[in-house]
Amino acid sequence: MSAPAVPEQSVRNERLRLQLQSIRSFARRFASRPDGIIGVVVLLIFTILAIAPELFVGPLQTATTATGPSLSPPTAANLLGTDELGRDILNLTIHGTRISMVIGLLATIVTIFLGVLVGIVSGYVGGRVDTVLMRITDFFLVLPTFVLALILAPIILDLVGADSEFFGIRVTLLVIVVVIGVTSWASTARIIRSQALSVKELAFVGRARVIGSGPGHIMWRHILPNVMNLIVANTVLVFGGSILTETTLSFIGLGDPFAPSWGQVLNAAESAGAMGLGAWWYVVPPSVCIVLVVLAFTLVGSALDDILNPRLRIRR
Amino acid sequence: MTDPGRPVPISAADDQADGAAAAAGLAARAAALDAQALIRGRRQWPLPRQADPSAPLLVVEHLTTRFKMAGGAIKAVDDVSFTLNDGEALGIAGESGCGKTTTALSLVRLLPANGRIGKDSSVKLFGIDLAKKSEDALRRYRWREISIIFQGAMNALNPVRRINEQIAEPVELRLKVNKADAMKRAGELLELVGIPARRGQAYPHELSGGMRQRAMIAMALACDPAVVIGDEPTTALDVMVQAQILELLERLRRELGLSLILITHDLSVIAETCDRVMIMYAGKVAEEGAVSVIFRTPRHPYTQKLIGAFPNIHADRRTLDVIPGSPPDLRDPPPGCRFHPRCPFAMAVCSVEVPPEVTFADGVRVACHLYPGGSDGVPVTRPTKDALVQPAADTGLGAGAFGDRDEAIDELEAAVDPAPSHLLTPGHGLTDDHSLDEIQ
Repeated sequence: MSAPAVPEQSVRNERLRLQLQSIRSFARRFASRPDGIIGVVVLLIFTILAIAPELFVGPLQTATTATGPSLSPPTAANLLGTDELGRDILNLTIHGTRISMVIGLLATIVTIFLGVLVGIVSGYVGGRVDTVLMRITDFFLVLPTFVLALILAPIILDLVGADSEFFGIRVTLLVIVVVIGVTSWASTARIIRSQALSVKELAFVGRARVIGSGPGHIMWRHILPNVMNLIVANTVLVFGGSILTETTLSFIGLGDPFAPSWGQVLNAAESAGAMGLGAWWYVVPPSVCIVLVVLAFTLVGSALDDILNPRLRIRR
Repeated sequence: MTDPGRPVPISAADDQADGAAAAAGLAARAAALDAQALIRGRRQWPLPRQADPSAPLLVVEHLTTRFKMAGGAIKAVDDVSFTLNDGEALGIAGESGCGKTTTALSLVRLLPANGRIGKDSSVKLFGIDLAKKSEDALRRYRWREISIIFQGAMNALNPVRRINEQIAEPVELRLKVNKADAMKRAGELLELVGIPARRGQAYPHELSGGMRQRAMIAMALACDPAVVIGDEPTTALDVMVQAQILELLERLRRELGLSLILITHDLSVIAETCDRVMIMYAGKVAEEGAVSVIFRTPRHPYTQKLIGAFPNIHADRRTLDVIPGSPPDLRDPPPGCRFHPRCPFAMAVCSVEVPPEVTFADGVRVACHLYPGGSDGVPVTRPTKDALVQPAADTGLGAGAFGDRDEAIDELEAAVDPAPSHLLTPGHGLTDDHSLDEIQ
């Protein structure tokens, strides 16, 4: 059938215009949430610290390069005091940002990938597949994450050898990433599945099937975009949780002693008996950082949830 | 035969009339063949390999669709036959739950998991029997040859994907066209249905209801299908938008030679857009024929009641006729004619025997005992009082059982003979500016 010719330029311009418009409306709605703004600002600061800690406090101090006195309280030379090896706590804390954030990010990617995959397949395919996948999910859901991580981490470390490296990242860190990912995808899968279940009943999915789309195509092009709001909001919350889990694992000694994260610093403080010695400056800075980052992620997450979830939007 | 819209009385059914009817039939067939050659010549994509190029577009015979339910099987469609020629529009009308949509969806077996098509059913598209195809083989015909304009465009469009991406989807998937070309075609299709191509970048919620329905139509046209099924395409739209959508469908039919099956309970929509109409009741065909004939001289009592239940803006304001009762439970349909419990002309035979389908010289097919069977092709008009009384006497039922029969016959005569169908009168509602000739 003959159809009129279409100027492609105008089609592209329209796309740009609509994209700009939607970004602007999203920004406007986000701007009306002061808690979200605060969260974003805090996260931005920590991101900058994570990207270039050397700019602020110089290279990472080790036992050999440490210059300060042992366990000195805050002074002009060491703003946040020093540890038992004479390392500057400010230096350690800021360098710890990178490890904590990177592990949090990688663990979030693993968690969300597993959770979304299982959730969408389970919800869309249904039937026996759904039953099997959901029983597995239940298994991970009822197991206490922390205990499971505690068991998994040393086993995996033992299997792959603690000193090997993957793509320049020490395997100890990767093990933490995998452990966090494996133990926390279950709740994401549940959330995504419940949404996939309702999306697949909508008429356009039936229409897509009539057109001749296969299940893979429908899941990727129709279900996934429709659960994207949940994924985004969930990602932010999982990110905060991952950082917390990493800290815990490092604190009890499952981290990598050569890559100081906040948990590692706390672990060192604990083994040096900082609390008993009254060396509060050793414990407080990394703790405050953890609390700030996790809080910031929660603030951003709940703001995003309100903005991206159409049902919550109608209510207000 | 001077006026095809008026049934020929039995007494006049002599050789001359037969010859005229045959000639008219031949002329109609020749016109259909011309349209067939013209429309198939314009196809962008070749006919399916197994297609018989000279076969009629769509011939449905003895279509039966059952749904397995907890309380037993439901025959939602029972022995339905019809044909659709190239460039023709067939309207299917009837009350809710009478099998209109199931009939249409059965053509490409888009049924719920518990739906089954009977063994004797045949759905021949270009002479290829789709009812015998395996599920996989049938996929080639879905959307590519038979596509659907869904009711309620908002739900049939994915809210988080752009309109043009969604229209490009069937082109990409079914015709194996690359993404860029598919998107280009989506733009062309949008222009075709009256939406500027750049609006294709919008999401469904950014379009008005009418625009969304246009986008649905563009999607149905995406693969240049042989048959488009409109499943109540104008329901849930306001009257102005309804008129625009109908105008669009009419234009597409004119320009593209679209072959359309239109499902609706709005008879005025059929009067405006369709060539032929099929009235269904409880899964069976009650009456089928040219719109101009059926709306002028409805023969089946159900058709008469259906048309009587429609407002007429020319007549005095009055209470609309209603058809008492409701369609039967298809798990346990009444014996004989399924309409007899609600029929004002019900005879004894109606509750015993299923009325055969009788075709008249003017092409109308009716299944009703008022028009006796075995007279295929012989024109029969209104029943005589004898025809009504006789079977009752035969079966030994007293006349008292049908006390208001005389009155009913008067009513029927009034309905059959002089009543001009107000639906076809210019100036009525949606049929504004569309004279009867245009519809024909």
